[in-house]
Order: sequence, then C-alpha cells, then structure tokens
Amino acid sequence: MTTRLEGRAKVTGAARYAADARFPGLLYARILRSPHAHARIRRIETSRAERLGGVHAVLSSANSPRIGWYEESALFDRTLRFIGDEVAAVAAESEELAEDAVRLIEVQYEPLAFDMRGAPAEPKTEQRGDLARGLREADVVLEAAYRTQTALHNALEPHGCTALWHGDHLVVHESTQGIFAVRDEVAEKLGLSPQKVRVITEHMGGGFGAKQIAWKHTVIAALLAQRTGRPVQLMLERSAENLAVGNRNATEQALRLGAKRDGTLTAIDVRIRFEQGAYSAGGEASDVIGTYLTLYRCANVRAEQRPLRSNAGPAVAFRAPGYAEGNFALESAIDELAERLKIDAVELRLRNYATRDQREDKPFTAPQSLRRCITRVAEACEWTHQRSGLGFAAHDWAAGGGWPPAEAEVEFRDGAARVVVGVQDIGTGSRTALAQIVAAELGIALERVAIELGDTQPEIYGPTSAGSATLATLGPVLQDAARRAKNAGRGRAVRADNPKDKSIRTCGAQAVELAVDRDTGEVSVKRVVAAHDCGRIVNPLLQSSQVIGGITQALGYALSEHRVVDPRLGEVLNANLEEYKVPTLADIPEIVNLSESMPDEEANATGAKGCGEPPIIPTAAALANAIYSATGVRIRELPITRDKLIR
Amino acid sequence: MKPFEYTTPNTIEQAVAALGPGTRAFAGGTDLLTLMKADIAAPERLVNVKTLLPRGIEARPDGLEIGALTTLAEIEQHPVIAQCYGALAQAAALAASPQIRNLATVGGNLLQRPRCWYYRNARINCWLKDGADCPARDGENRNHALYGGGPCYAVHPSDLASALVAFDAALWLHGRGGERTLELADFFALPVAERRTETVLAADQLLLRLRLPPHPPETRSCYLKAMDRKAWAFALAGVACVLRLSGDKIAHARIVLSGVAPIPWRAAAAERELQGAVAGPDRFAAAAEAAVQEAAPLRHNGYKVPLTKALVRQALTALTNPACNSK
Repeated sequence: MTTRLEGRAKVTGAARYAADARFPGLLYARILRSPHAHARIRRIETSRAERLGGVHAVLSSANSPRIGWYEESALFDRTLRFIGDEVAAVAAESEELAEDAVRLIEVQYEPLAFDMRGAPAEPKTEQRGDLARGLREADVVLEAAYRTQTALHNALEPHGCTALWHGDHLVVHESTQGIFAVRDEVAEKLGLSPQKVRVITEHMGGGFGAKQIAWKHTVIAALLAQRTGRPVQLMLERSAENLAVGNRNATEQALRLGAKRDGTLTAIDVRIRFEQGAYSAGGEASDVIGTYLTLYRCANVRAEQRPLRSNAGPAVAFRAPGYAEGNFALESAIDELAERLKIDAVELRLRNYATRDQREDKPFTAPQSLRRCITRVAEACEWTHQRSGLGFAAHDWAAGGGWPPAEAEVEFRDGAARVVVGVQDIGTGSRTALAQIVAAELGIALERVAIELGDTQPEIYGPTSAGSATLATLGPVLQDAARRAKNAGRGRAVRADNPKDKSIRTCGAQAVELAVDRDTGEVSVKRVVAAHDCGRIVNPLLQSSQVIGGITQALGYALSEHRVVDPRLGEVLNANLEEYKVPTLADIPEIVNLSESMPDEEANATGAKGCGEPPIIPTAAALANAIYSATGVRIRELPITRDKLIR
Repeated sequence: MKPFEYTTPNTIEQAVAALGPGTRAFAGGTDLLTLMKADIAAPERLVNVKTLLPRGIEARPDGLEIGALTTLAEIEQHPVIAQCYGALAQAAALAASPQIRNLATVGGNLLQRPRCWYYRNARINCWLKDGADCPARDGENRNHALYGGGPCYAVHPSDLASALVAFDAALWLHGRGGERTLELADFFALPVAERRTETVLAADQLLLRLRLPPHPPETRSCYLKAMDRKAWAFALAGVACVLRLSGDKIAHARIVLSGVAPIPWRAAAAERELQGAVAGPDRFAAAAEAAVQEAAPLRHNGYKVPLTKALVRQALTALTNPACNSK
C-alpha cells in the first residue's frame, strides 16, 4: 500500500502552507467588508486607521488604481453588492493591529434597495428531439419540483496568501488549486507580464473548487506589499471565507419525466433556476442541466437553466458543480418514476443508462462501466426496493478524463528520477500518484522519484486542479516524458489530444442504508456502499480517500449543511463553523468502497481517470431515496433536517 | 477584539471589589472570548478568577458540591455523578466537543449567553443587545424559543443547566455583602427590559459553587438531546428527567427542557401528570402532551413541539424500562 509522499510532513507539522510563509519584516493584512447588502460608498476616511501605531498602509478606492473585477465591477468598487464585499484593506505589524485598524476606518454608506431572492438573467437552453412528442408517447409522466440549498465549501484552510516583491517581480505563496490561473490573473490585474509573477503552493488544506480562480485578496496583498515595501500575509477569517469567496449555488428544479410502460424514457424536461449571487465569479460553470442531458438515453430532452442575480456572495465551482445539485433531483425523480411504473428502481436505471454521449453525439470510451458500477453496488447491498431504509442512485460526471494543455519534464540518471510538473496537490495526493506513474514507467522504486510541483517558476505548465482531471491530464504526459528520459536521460512531453471520435466520462453508483426515528425526525446513516469508474486505479488508498471524503461531504450536503440568509437584512446568519454544520466523525457511517480498477485504454495511455468529484454526486439522492424507503415520505428539498421528517 | 485591562486579584473579596459594569470575570473563556472576538461583548477589564474560585467535586453527607471552576470534562467523568446524577453526566458528555469540555467550566456554562444567530452577529442590534426589537420573532427562527419568548426569543444554550435544575441544585454567590445562596431554578430568569440577561447575577457577583441535594439510591435520571448532527451542536431540544418510583407509582418527577426557552424550562404540568401516578405508556404520553401544552411556536420552530414531546416520552420510557437500570 503506497501512502502519501507528504504524509509524514503533514502529520509532523513540517509541511508548509500559505500562512506558514515567514519573511523578515512580514506584515499582516485584514479586509474591511461591506456591512450592507447593497450600498454606495459616499466617503471613506482612513486617517485614524493610518495613525494607529504599527499600521503601514490602508488601501481603498480612495487611494488605489481602479482595477476591474467581476465583469463591470472593481477591486475596490464604490458600489457594494453583498454583505462581505471588499471596501478597504490594512497592512499592519500583527493580525490584531490590522483588525484594530480596520475598525478605525470610517465609511459613510448610502444604503440601496436589495434583493436576496434574485432577478432571473438570460437562460441557457439545450434541447434535442421533440419534447411534445416525447411527452405524448409516454404512458406515465412524472412531474415534480426539487430544491437544493446554498452550501459553503469550508475548506479547513481558508483562502489566503503571502505576497512579496523582489524588484518588479512578485512572489505569492498562495492556497490555490490553480497556480497558473492565479499567476495569469494577478499579472493581468497588476499590468505585469506573467513571467514577472511567481505563484507557489507547496501544500494546501482543501479547495473543493473555491480556490480555482484568483480572488481579490491576492491582488490586495500584492498592492499592500508594493506600497509598504514589505512582505504581506493576508489570510481570510472564517466569516469572510463563508461570505465572499464562493458557495455552491442553490437550485430550484422543475422537471417532467415521460416513460413507456416498459420503462423506456421518452421525455426529459427540466427548468432550473440557480442562485448566482451578486457577481459571476468565473471558473468552472455550474452545469446543472448537464446530467439531464447525458445520464440516461432519451431522444426528447429540453433542459434550461437560468441564473438568479441577488445581493449575496458569488457562487463558484464546488466539487462536481451542477452535477451534485442536478443528480439529487434527477435520481430522486427516477425512483419516483420507478414506483409509478412498478419497475424496480435499479432495473429502471439499467434499462435506460446511456452508452453514448448524447450531447456530443459520440460513444463513450467505456460505455459499460456504469452498468458494472450499478450491478456491483446492487449486489453488495443485496438490493431490493422492498428493504426498508435502503436507497440507490447512479451518476455520471462529464469530466475526469483530462485534456490538454499540460507539460512535464523528467530527468533520469543513476537509477533516480527528478520530475517537474506545474500542477499543485490540492490534497488528493496528486504528488504521489504522478510520481507512481513515473516510477512504474522507469521500473524504479517510488523512493527514487523526486517530484517538484506547486511552483510556476520552472514555466512548465500544469492545469488547475478541477474537473477531476489532474491524473488523466498529466499521467500520460509523465509516462511519455519518462519514456523519453529513459532513453535520453532527460525528457519533456506535452499532453496529446483526447480521441476525437469518443467521449470520456466518469460515472458510478451508491447505495445508502439508514434508519429514521419518525418521533424525533433523526436520521441515522448506517452504511454507504459506492463503486465509481475512474479507469485504472493508480493508488487504491488515495482513491478510497476521495470516495470517503466525497461521501462525507455529500452527507453534510444531504443532511445538515445550509447557508441561512435573512432576506430582510441581507445577512448570512451562519457564516461560521458553529451554525453551518459540517459532519463530525460521529456523523460518518461505514463507507464501503467497491471501486474496481477498470483501465480505460481508449481515454489515454495510462487508462486512468479522475475520482475527486464523482463520490459527492449520487449520495444525496440515494439518501433521499432511502428515507422514502424507510418512511414513505418523499423529501424533495435539501438538506433533509429533522423538521422535514418529524411526525 | 477591543483592548482591555487584565487583572489577577489575590482574594475573592478583591475580585468582587474589582467587578462592576464594564468588568467581567474570566475563567475558561470559552464563551466570553468568543463574544469579545465577535464584538458582542467589549469589557474594559477582565478579572482573572481562575486561581480564586473553587474547582472540584466533593461528595458530602448533605449532597454533592461542585466548584464553579470544575470543567465539563471533570463532571462527565466523575464516578459519583455517573452513578447518582446520571442526567448531569450525560448532559456534560453531550455538550460541545471534547476540546471545549476540557476548558469550559460549569460556572461559565450556566452563565453563557445565547447562541441566537441574530444576537451573535455584531451588525444586528437585537433587543438582547439593547436594541428595540427581536429580529428572530418574525425571522429565521428554527432554533428559537417555544416558551417564555418575548421580547427575546433566544434559547438558553446549556445542557447542564436543565440537568442541574432537575436535581434541585442550589448555588452560592459571592458579592460585596458576602455569600448568599439560592435555588438554581430561581437564579435563571427571563430577560426583561432593565436586565437583558438570563440570570439574576449582578455585575459585582461571582458564582462560587453548586450543591446537589442527595437523592435516594432508587432515583433514576437521564438527559436526551436532539441536535442537527450527531455531536458538537447546541440542543434543538433537550430533556432532563429525574424520576423516583415507589412500587409502580411515581413518587417524584422532574422534567426540565433545554433549547426551547430563554432559560431552562421546567415542565411543571408534565410533572403534575406524573406525580403519584402509575408509570406506564399512557401516563407518559399524557405527560409529554402536558409538557408542550403552553408551547407557542414561531414560523419555523413548530417541529420542536413534536420533538419535545417525543424526547419526554422517550426519556420516561427509558427510565422505567426494566432492562435499563439507568440512574
């Protein structure tokens, strides 16, 4: 069993994170945030803050260049659009002093009307076939509406960085899942060439999608460092983390499923509204309609998603963005449809799962892997829909197959390899799995491979840790580079294109076993059984970690996590870890990971695909289906808190 | 956090003399520091009482004495409490997290302020913070009070308080005039306009110790708690139940509710249903019904009514189940 290369450093505290960067003269920064959901700044008075001993700089719209941000907005905009929007920042000799100074900034706000419900923007619609005909041909039409909540990432390590200048070169130690994304964005905002910005992420304590873009704090830290001539560290507090740097968008999904008596799906119609917040933050889009278009074979589909703009913090990618939300509704509805059709819910899935990518109109590279996952989970949990408290769901995920561009360099001499790649290890163990691929190719022990990553300096491009893509993107590149190094002592390779005539996806299935106390509404999850197709499994321990972590996070999403907003005040009431309830150890059931190594030889030369996101996708639906099985109550809204179940 | 002065007096008298408006006693700090960091409390001076107040648990002929500085972990693990005052041990074990229980003191636990998310948000000037109104009444109130609400609808966050009231605990306070004692049940009081706190503790008083009267060995007790997750959460509803049977009749019953009122809430009507009655499912159902008779649910906390009923019934059932000899 191969454990993480950095495991020892992490458990001994030797591993260095963004907040561990220490330099002579280091200053600490804090951000003043809007107390209004919508307001215009009339006046900012910073002189009291500036006069406080130990304060080195105060930055706001009053004294800094206008740097564009979020579409038409700015780094320090005079108009504030949610509680938590950035107003000003301070650099001081300690975090406490910086906080004191922030309090001394006097701002005159002109409060404006705000809207927490959200105004609909232009929809995105995809369709195929003839929906009306599909509905006419159906013997049964299921119509239902589902809702999912706004969820917060709450990575253990908050967003943050330490920034310092060497002449006109900027170095940023950042907690990011995209060192090149941050480098390019920060360079653009500061008007620098990308080569003058170096981003380093040695280790990070989670990102889950919220750290895949550059956020304002990095540019603020860079500006403060420039102004003071000192290195500046800016880590966000938990409240800022939960207000201003992303969330999983809430959704409302109204859908119709049409099917023939034999279970054949004839129509899928879904209209989705999702809460985007005050800004479009960029990064991976939340493709809520995605799974409706791809999971099941259906000729007549209309899928529409419409963002709602409101005065809340912006949404951003969150582990399987769109799919976790969409799957809850679709896979709950499939169970509801199965009951109407009097067809076993697993059987209905086996009759309808897609073997081609209907969006791209090409076959999947591994068309039968979903069947394999479904039957494996069904067998292991001794599936029968009559068994009380047992629920099932399948899923797909459009990514996991990797893609260009990416490059890698391998040196091989005296039986040892040195590897340089431009990705960061988001925490999944990329460092270890990528080194394993090189060791295998060179036929040497893993200990003989030294891998360097998390640094833009070598100018070897690596992708953002997103789309469960790192392994499948870089694995083949490293294999190629290692092969070249074996012959020439040194090898460099770039990511080849994916096959043109096939579509690569990942998929899987889960079953949840639970008990419900109807008197107290308490749900006790006993076991989750999972099987996910992630191609060849390079490291079973790391793959299991992703399954366990994804399901744990999904159980929080399904049962207890919910950003609560008071629409009268525009306030997030639980921007903390006390009232925003992530699962504790006591909430985590037995998790059985049945994922098999299923090399996807057509996808890439390693046969490996990603597994970072898939495990979070089907849990909520499987859980809701299990609750229905246990109680006869169909819950169509997340999270499933006890008030929804109590008799 | 605003700058403050920190003093460590040598005697309790000196500590009491230092207390007053703008000054707070400081022990475990698990509540006070979070209030200060969140800008809810901004004392000018902290008086360190960590070396002054009694700490420890002493079994005496006239009952059990618990020093104010005794930690929740010490209460949870004490053999006499586990044996004779089971509900208290269970309440301590279900409170907070192990890390917090190692630091938090029982005195601070009884004096902690509500976790209401309006109260804990410095930007919101709620009634409890001398504002005009309670935003929870017509707002996001799923965690809020069923009983005793208005003007404040926050709930008391302590699990131990209900168990201690159910055991008829008394406490000792030290003020400028020396020591005085009162029933814990009388120590808690619904906040009113001129005293926006949950206890009658004056600004210049210290809580010294608690005393639990002895209970006959046949006394049984338990504490049940419903949370949003399996651990480390404040009670949505909790029930401390102390019961003594004489033959098949109930000779003594105390039912005190957590998480449903601004103070620990004694379900007196439920106790009346039980007193002198024959123990059994029908009687327990009647007691559970009586416990929620006066409940006044708000828009989002109606689920607490059946929840409280269920917890009362489950507690009574567990305590009279012959298979379970829970004390």
